[in-house]
Amino acid sequence: MEMKFDGEFNINQPRDKVFEILRDPEKFAPLLPTFHSMEMKDSNRANLKVKVGIGSIIATATTELILEEALAPSRIRYTGQGKVMQGAYQMSSTFELDEIDGETRVRWQGRTVLAGKLLSIAGGGLRSYAEKEINRVITSLQAALAPGAQTAEIRVPEENWFMRLLHFLTGTHKQEATDSQASPATAADTTMTYAPHPADTLQSRKDSIHKINRILDAGCNAMKPGRKEDKRLVTGQGLYVDDYLPAGALHMVLVRSPYAHARILDIDVSRAESLPGVICTITGKEIAEHTTPFTQIGPEPSARIQDFCLAVNKVRYQGDPVVAVIAESRHIATDAAQLVEVNYDILPAVVSCEDAQTDTTVIHEEAGTNRTWQGVYEYGDVDQAFAGAAHIVRIDHLKFHRFSSTALECNAVVATWDRRDQIDFFCNTIMTVPIAMIAPALDVRTDQIRLRTHDIGGAFGNKIGNYPYMTLAAFASRKAGGAPVKWVETRSEYMQAGGHGGERNYYDTEVALDKDGVITAIRSRHVDDCGAYPRYEPLGCVIWSQVLPAAYKLRNVRIDFSQVVTNKGPCAPNRGYSRLPHMWFMERVIDICGHELGIPADEIRLRNYIRDFPYTTPNGCVYDSGDFVAMLNRARDIIGWDDWKQKQQQARTEGRIIGIGIGTTLDSGTNNFAQSQIINPFLPFSSNSVVSTVKLDLDGSISASVSTFPQGQGHETTTAQVIAEELGVDTDMVHVKTGFDSERNSHSGTCGTYASQFAVTGLSAVHGAVVKLRNEMKKLAAYALEANENDLEFGMGEQGPEVRVIGTGRGVNYWALANMVNYNKASLPEELREISLNVRHTYVPPFEAPDVEKKYGNLTLTYAMQLHIAAVEVDPQTFKTRILDYVIVDDCGKVINPMIVEGQVHGGTAHGLGAALLEIMPFDKDGNVLAGSFTDYAPITINNMPDLKCSNMQTPSPFTYNGAKGMGEGGGAPLHAISAALQDALYDQGVIIQHSHNSPMALHDFIREGRQRPVTTESR
Amino acid sequence: MNMSESTQLVPITVSVNGKTCQRQVEPRLLLVEFIRETLGLTGTHIGCDTSFCGACTVIVDGDAVKSCTMLAVQADGSEILTVEGLERDGVLHPLQQAFSSNHGLQCGYCTPGMLMSSLALLADNPNPTRKDIRKQLAGNICRCTGYQNIIKSIEAAASAMQED
Ligand code: FES
Ligand code: FES
Repeated sequence: MEMKFDGEFNINQPRDKVFEILRDPEKFAPLLPTFHSMEMKDSNRANLKVKVGIGSIIATATTELILEEALAPSRIRYTGQGKVMQGAYQMSSTFELDEIDGETRVRWQGRTVLAGKLLSIAGGGLRSYAEKEINRVITSLQAALAPGAQTAEIRVPEENWFMRLLHFLTGTHKQEATDSQASPATAADTTMTYAPHPADTLQSRKDSIHKINRILDAGCNAMKPGRKEDKRLVTGQGLYVDDYLPAGALHMVLVRSPYAHARILDIDVSRAESLPGVICTITGKEIAEHTTPFTQIGPEPSARIQDFCLAVNKVRYQGDPVVAVIAESRHIATDAAQLVEVNYDILPAVVSCEDAQTDTTVIHEEAGTNRTWQGVYEYGDVDQAFAGAAHIVRIDHLKFHRFSSTALECNAVVATWDRRDQIDFFCNTIMTVPIAMIAPALDVRTDQIRLRTHDIGGAFGNKIGNYPYMTLAAFASRKAGGAPVKWVETRSEYMQAGGHGGERNYYDTEVALDKDGVITAIRSRHVDDCGAYPRYEPLGCVIWSQVLPAAYKLRNVRIDFSQVVTNKGPCAPNRGYSRLPHMWFMERVIDICGHELGIPADEIRLRNYIRDFPYTTPNGCVYDSGDFVAMLNRARDIIGWDDWKQKQQQARTEGRIIGIGIGTTLDSGTNNFAQSQIINPFLPFSSNSVVSTVKLDLDGSISASVSTFPQGQGHETTTAQVIAEELGVDTDMVHVKTGFDSERNSHSGTCGTYASQFAVTGLSAVHGAVVKLRNEMKKLAAYALEANENDLEFGMGEQGPEVRVIGTGRGVNYWALANMVNYNKASLPEELREISLNVRHTYVPPFEAPDVEKKYGNLTLTYAMQLHIAAVEVDPQTFKTRILDYVIVDDCGKVINPMIVEGQVHGGTAHGLGAALLEIMPFDKDGNVLAGSFTDYAPITINNMPDLKCSNMQTPSPFTYNGAKGMGEGGGAPLHAISAALQDALYDQGVIIQHSHNSPMALHDFIREGRQRPVTTESR
Repeated sequence: MNMSESTQLVPITVSVNGKTCQRQVEPRLLLVEFIRETLGLTGTHIGCDTSFCGACTVIVDGDAVKSCTMLAVQADGSEILTVEGLERDGVLHPLQQAFSSNHGLQCGYCTPGMLMSSLALLADNPNPTRKDIRKQLAGNICRCTGYQNIIKSIEAAASAMQED
């Protein structure tokens, strides 16, 4: 194979000078961007080592470079020959120099001949590569000869592209500032100069500016590399929805209801529409005419609920969107929204769960009741167990409060419904389910919808609730003639309307225990309050049963579970969705029983923990692996349990109130969607799947996509880890697509980032795909190397990442393999022509359909476990709770990336502590939102977050290929542990911790006002 | 209520990351909107509407400022540094590198604000205690990390810069 190149370029230097450099191999060779090292044989000959490669595929080639001709001052010719990729090449290059107006014109010609089987089947991509390299030589020559450059001492600049790549590849990325090497142009662009403003003479201002400037220039020593995602995020180059503004985009602002429950009498948009810059408005009437109500997940009667993307006839919560205003700018839309007039007839608001159950006021007339779902979960022989109980503990009422993990980025979407009838959503939703919700509502095919995400500023489940807004924005785009419509929720809107975690009430709980304090049975009635529209609900009415007995071995359970709607913002899954409130309940139960029976909190748990794994729960779920006892022992050791017990006694004598409490919890991951049939037997859902594609790209680099919607969980990093490990390459060589794109990421209907599943579903999909890719690569390599597949191995070689014959040094690199498949099919035998090196794998967890009648079956695949212990002190004056010490032991099976796992543990703990002590979404009796802003809601800050002592245990899951378990949600252990610690602190004052939220005010009311003891214990 | 019809634009000149920018702005334009929308520097984020979250923190004349608390017209004549101005010649600032190395970010939405607040802290106090760090960042909300690794990152940056 022969390649010829030629061209010309100018250098702003006299010809002599240019000749001088080109004729000296010692000066010329280092200008090659691929230059690695050289050894001069004599003044005209050198042995040269160059690195050649495309993308991340780098091979070393050895060349003998000979200066054949040097006719001063106008002609120079080099020849060279060498070996690369098990083949040989010869090259020659000629330079002709002319002087024109004091500049030198360089005309050049090059010729390369490649020989060898590998080169001829893989060589297709070489030409463009070679051209690029030639351009680099020219640039580097021009730079070397630029005025001011030290031509006498030409060397490869330290920080050229190649050295950076090399550092990158070898992990020796340097942190030193490179100002000495930077070209003057770059330095000028980026240097920050703080010339004081002439009018400003304040010394302090100058000082501050000076201090900032000084620290900006600070260098530092090397630090270990972080995640793949980090570079863009720490440099402000993340792309969140609000950062995206396509040309011609319009802005949507919503007029929301000031009332929790009211009939819409009339709407006047005329003044708003006449404001210059306003494109159109949309009301519920129009939406009802042109769209279909969203699919309801629940059975009758909740299936009859008519839920549209704008309120129709009635508003059902404070913040219910009534009118959309679309304008050229956000400011104009905001102004216009204030000109919309809506008249309401106010209706009584249904705020409490108790009121909702009476149906005195019905929120959705179509359904005829506020009770959207009801079912009894009964296992074992409950009444028999109660008949034989040694103790029965009765708890009137417990309550899990409404709060939200409030991702820092609110819901947002840019929707474009163009004239070709394609709908593009650039948004921050977190799963593919919205496609299935939106398409029927807008009466389009799912393939007309393109769903894209890029960076997402946290979601924690909440952003599943984005789809009504996405639908509305798409509708607005169509009405506005196909222009993109951007909607970005404000924080205040989110506080009113965005998906919050639901509230749960536990009534009339009875617990049967044997004489040793082992719980034998529980019967109870639980009611969820899901807000005004069920949306993703009533799935929460079954999801809790993934952890039905929590960490405990009781076999007899009867829970009457139901859900109601109220005039509050619609809920959405929130980190720990539905399982967390149930585990908080179970932890309250065991803790209250311990206190009532005088059994220490650790002891009663030890008597009740499940000990043998895999463990089948009374409702057929299988806890895969774990060791609660070891976790408790470790946590007790770290915090110094016995010491704290002593300190507590001592403190009491000083009038201080100290308590120590345990929270044991489970984080069930990887849903079996068949559980939805327990809610509604007509739902055609079962199991779960996640899809990944991995390919050896055209240039031999590795790229991958996964059908997930990461929001900070580091999927790019862990995906690259799995692939790199399987192929024996560095993670830097693996390029993982950022975010989700339905036109790019192969996917199924249930793909997404939710329910603690990525380490299992996502990584299993990636692993399956890379194994398939490996097999294809092996087949090709076996052919190219004329070897047996079994004799091949993967690894890094001189030629970059390669497949080689074990123990021979004979290998074929990725570039060559990619070339064979992509450019040189005729070189392949018939049986290898199907190979694409672009493979797809769908991971499907091994689930079966549950018994819907009996509500029995395996609902999730893995169970990560966490055990927290908190030591707290309650101020007897202010009732403020202070955390004195906090220990976490977590076990999520085999850990793929310890840094990321620990980060998730920290984050989940912050959400739990925030919820336990600070964060609540309260409403007044009229349904007014009382935490309408971040300032009122007060999410946990760095100031009220204690230092955490974390420890990790690993009991690998037997059900996953890698032994990993999903763990991102955490099981809300801080809520359990804080409630337990407060219980421990306050039990002797007659306080029973009944609520999951314990603000100073709530504790004050408990302690000062006193109330009827909600617990009775009967011992027989 | 209708402001947009009668709006008079006001000329302002600010230096942002070393570049002088002259623009005509609406008087009601927030500094954060000016930075994000007028200048297209979207690294500065918005996380709330009550000046609580700190995602919008930038450096104005050497001090960390929540850019949603300030009008663009008030910044006339100021020198502003945003997260985009931290990197030097393609090399991360030690704080940026430390946040990455110590997993001080997850979703990254709070990160630009965290970096700018931390920069102001280290400019004043090269060797901060944990208490100093907590005090400085009390107005920066992160919903992902539980703050543990943010503290660690700032400590790491401080010590790396000392050793240099
Ligand atoms: S956006 Fe400025 S403080 Fe939240
Ligand atoms: S990293 Fe997500 S808010 Fe801080």
